[in-house]
Amino acid sequence: MRALNTVRHLFVLLVLLSALPGAAQAEQTLTAIPGRVMAPDFSLPDTSGTMHKLSDYRGQVVIINFWTTWCPPCREELPSMNRAWHTIEEEGIAMLAINMGEDEDTIFIFSADYPTDFPVLMDQSGEVIGQWPVKGLPTTYVIAPDGRIAYRAIGSREWDDAGLLDKVRALQQ
Amino acid sequence: MHCMLTESRNESLTRSARLCLVTMLLMMAMAVTAGEVKRSVNEENGLQGWHFSDSDIEIELIQRLPDQTRALLMNHNFSREVIEQMALSCMFQTIIRNTGKSAANRVVSIDLTEWRMLHDGKIRKPLMKEPLLDSWTDADADPAAKLVVRWGMFPTQQEYLPGDYNWGLTAYGIPPGATFDLDVAWREGGALRRGEIKGVVCAPDVDTLK
Repeated sequence: MRALNTVRHLFVLLVLLSALPGAAQAEQTLTAIPGRVMAPDFSLPDTSGTMHKLSDYRGQVVIINFWTTWCPPCREELPSMNRAWHTIEEEGIAMLAINMGEDEDTIFIFSADYPTDFPVLMDQSGEVIGQWPVKGLPTTYVIAPDGRIAYRAIGSREWDDAGLLDKVRALQQ
Repeated sequence: MHCMLTESRNESLTRSARLCLVTMLLMMAMAVTAGEVKRSVNEENGLQGWHFSDSDIEIELIQRLPDQTRALLMNHNFSREVIEQMALSCMFQTIIRNTGKSAANRVVSIDLTEWRMLHDGKIRKPLMKEPLLDSWTDADADPAAKLVVRWGMFPTQQEYLPGDYNWGLTAYGIPPGATFDLDVAWREGGALRRGEIKGVVCAPDVDTLK
């Protein structure tokens, strides 16, 4: 009888364990970048013509997202990035989305369906993205206040996830 | 397998319940290590997809119609010949993910040059973007147009930590509607692993349906 109960408990445990991979997939991960890899500086215009120089953000945590309008996972994560921006803006965390290879008109038309309130910069020649260790789109980096690359995310994330934002906020301390 | 977990004082039944549990454990272990392929059809557009999973990796291939590729490239400065070359090269929207299911925190790395395909009795490699880009003159594609292929096609080599995934186009250089078996390779914690996706079908060209 006791042995059979043990088997039953193990069976329930097995069922629970089999559900774990699905739970792990939902975790919004950020990959920590070991060592002290400094973020390459850049100077790029946003869609309204204002220039943004990364080194001017020194002292702040900066989220830098490389994207294009024709990349489905890039589109997928933009709404959560915008929600996250409204949470972190007043905390002094900056967010810059660098569009790769497209012009103002294309981004303007796109923004009707995917509005963003944070600065969208234009790297029309692809020169800036070429200086960063980006292999595919979207790729996002989180830059620490001292200018080093602290985290990287390949593929889209739910950027307003509380656990993910806590990791970003922790860089401010 | 059907496990009877009914209450009984019979010792032999308890032993068989234990045996059943061990068998279930073994089956679960096998399910984790053996590659699994699922084929799907999108009910809205009829496009087929193949989903391969094994250990920490997931690879998904979704048919891409030649007209979808034409539409993307015609918005940029490609020559007519290059647009047709790309449109008719059997493209798939491809997603590769490190699921981290093993909880071993292993790096998954991909090198597309290690992939092989069997088509029409011949073994060949998928198309890589670097030789394509190198083969085009400025008349074939201007620098801005080349960026679309450089960033739209899947990276030839890439490393994924748990949770990372990437999206891009892979191309196989065979005609629309052709069928092939794809031998995928990846490294997990440094060890080379392989899996097979049989009976992958290139999307048909709209013209061939007329």
